[in-house]
Amino acid sequence: MALMPKRVKFRKEFRRVRDRKATKGNYVAYGEFGLQALEGCWMTGRQIEAGRIAAQHYLKRQGKVFIRVFPNKPISKKPLEQRMGKGKADVEYWAARVKPGTMLFEIAGVPEEVARNAMARVARKFPVKCRFVGRRLSA
Amino acid sequence: MQAKHKLEVQRRERTGSRYARRARAAGRLPCVIYGHGQEPLHVETDHKQAIRYFESGERLFDLALQGESKAETVLLKDLQFDYLGNNVVHCDLVRVDLDEVVEANVHLHFVGEAKGLKHAGAILTHSITELHVECKVRHLPEEIRVDISGLDTGHPLLARDIPLPDGLELKAEGDVVVAQVTVTKAADETAEGATTEGEGSEPEVITAKKEEEGEKKD
Repeated sequence: MALMPKRVKFRKEFRRVRDRKATKGNYVAYGEFGLQALEGCWMTGRQIEAGRIAAQHYLKRQGKVFIRVFPNKPISKKPLEQRMGKGKADVEYWAARVKPGTMLFEIAGVPEEVARNAMARVARKFPVKCRFVGRRLSA
Repeated sequence: MQAKHKLEVQRRERTGSRYARRARAAGRLPCVIYGHGQEPLHVETDHKQAIRYFESGERLFDLALQGESKAETVLLKDLQFDYLGNNVVHCDLVRVDLDEVVEANVHLHFVGEAKGLKHAGAILTHSITELHVECKVRHLPEEIRVDISGLDTGHPLLARDIPLPDGLELKAEGDVVVAQVTVTKAADETAEGATTEGEGSEPEVITAKKEEEGEKKD
């Protein structure tokens, strides 16, 4: 079951610019280790859900998983063999805007090796290159 | 805390993003030094060495400015990161005296095994890893050791409950949860404010409802 919002202001929205780098949500904030996107994409609710299931299956109820992205962008798609025009199509799926640097998942309460293996499995479910990171330095 | 290390810095003749980028490419870390009513000083230091100091928890340094004999003590005030959030691209250093009162963040080091971790599915989560305190520079510790052996489920450790060393005053809000033992729930929970495709076919559209009401009034 893919994630989607409960309430929205508008049914459909514009595509908007995608090629920007993350300026927020780009560091480990809740857990001890995180999975960071190195590329941008529209990550679908199904992909996020697949990642969550992969993490939960590997961790077997150890630790806590934090999902840092949420699919709140409606993506519409015209049916096959449909002529162009006649208005914007219906919403096909919901996606999260992922920019290079966005923290996707975080894990707390498990050793680094376990977190690393779990995140490697999660990363396989995603359409972008990812890397495993820890908490950053602070002043 | 006394300054343990000398931070060797060179004056930056030219400033701006272009020259800062070139300095980084050459293995240097651009820094700025300010405070005590003096003019800000733009300097650069060895990137690897600086990061090694910061990672080991060093915050206070004796400044060794190349070509000048004036001794200064500086405190690490701020770090700037690139878009990936992990690579340090710039740091702020503030001039301090050892008897000056400053506000700083001090790392928390948790010791002991929490009592509540013996329950099945219990994990220790800590939303903050450092505490905002006020003290004299000479009293600034490298870290604060927090004993969590008595921590149980349902009784979070708050910032005001942490025993601080002498001379330190808490500046963070007292009711901030520092650490807590939580029991993880079943795996199939969804995020708050979210629904799944199977439950409701489409989300509720707020503006659409208002339009309908408006039409009825007309």
